[in-house]
Amino acid sequence: MCETCGCGNPDESRIHDPKHDPDHHHDHDHGPEHEHLHNHGHEHEHEHEHDGHKHTHPHEHTPKRVINLNMDILSENNRMAERNRGYFEGKHVLSLNIVSSPGSGKTSILEKTILALTPSRKIFVIEGDQQTTRDADRIEKSGAPAIQINTGSGCHLDAKMIHLALKKMEPDNHSILFIENVGNLVCPALFDLGEQRRVLVISVTEGDDKPLKYPYMFQSADLCIINKTDLLPFVDFNMESAMNYARQLNPDLEFIQMSAKTEEGMTEWYDWLGKQLNSEVAN
Amino acid sequence: MHELSLAMEVIEMTQREAGKNGVSTILEIQVEVGDLSGIEADVFQSALEMVVKDTLLENSLVRIIRSPGKGKCSACNLEFEMKNLFDSCPQCGCLPSQIIGGQEFRVLSLVAE
Repeated sequence: MCETCGCGNPDESRIHDPKHDPDHHHDHDHGPEHEHLHNHGHEHEHEHEHDGHKHTHPHEHTPKRVINLNMDILSENNRMAERNRGYFEGKHVLSLNIVSSPGSGKTSILEKTILALTPSRKIFVIEGDQQTTRDADRIEKSGAPAIQINTGSGCHLDAKMIHLALKKMEPDNHSILFIENVGNLVCPALFDLGEQRRVLVISVTEGDDKPLKYPYMFQSADLCIINKTDLLPFVDFNMESAMNYARQLNPDLEFIQMSAKTEEGMTEWYDWLGKQLNSEVAN
Repeated sequence: MHELSLAMEVIEMTQREAGKNGVSTILEIQVEVGDLSGIEADVFQSALEMVVKDTLLENSLVRIIRSPGKGKCSACNLEFEMKNLFDSCPQCGCLPSQIIGGQEFRVLSLVAE
């Protein structure tokens, strides 16, 4: 088999190349280690019959060249995420990527948190939504500077968007930066933003089998807030089952049961934030 | 549908690498998609076909190589095939399993002219 063009190997998918008929005759020979690293034409003879007699004539074709890459497709995002992480470390900013499905109460939790923690701790927020500045407007009203990223048709934030938002926002040293991701339990799981902790918010109205349905998100989170506990009497949500499913995937996952409405669990949440601020992450 | 933005990332990566290697026609691209990568191979392939117009990959053959999920039991060290993240060890039933294969998502090679 010709190593360069694959000609003659029945297992290979064929690439249609009008200049290269697979049934033609190769009368040149080369070893298995042969590689074409530069472009050049090579001549070989082409045999066919017409008018009852056989004849041969040479023709040229450009050899194919294999470029081996083995490159991770998320590598560009991951590289940018590491830059963001370095920025947070240098400025002692605690950055949290808040992920959830739509309507689980992320923005309400953030509003209450901002009211409770400022002005003793400066808080900044990056809001990700497909459309509108509604969430950023709500956050600004609570007293924290907010930048809205509209992803348009995009279903997640990526590290480059955060990089650009940070240049505009310039969060203070020793502040907390909440990055409220697009409400979606699938896509944001794969994109490292450079955050130090990933906080997953689910609510009891969503069903206790969420970890089974969206395992990648539960696998990658550090903390899971189970919100809207005030609605537990009205829904079939088994708290133990939900936590057990999630622990099967991620034994280190921490949980806080919360109602942003009644403020149940908020103290535990502030304590958790305090613990992160005092850890090596933000120091 | 993160597959769409990943398809666009593949186009950018291909154009960058083609530029570095001085090639202008890509006949084929090989992409490895692991079964536990969180990326649906079929959706990714369709997404890539949607966004290749007017790029170097417009007429390229897209070849997807699937790599199977592989886990290792954290209790008994058995290595086994994993179809999803909740697969427990077939020998001792333990969870979670350490994932040792099937999370790949990379461009393996380009065939250029």
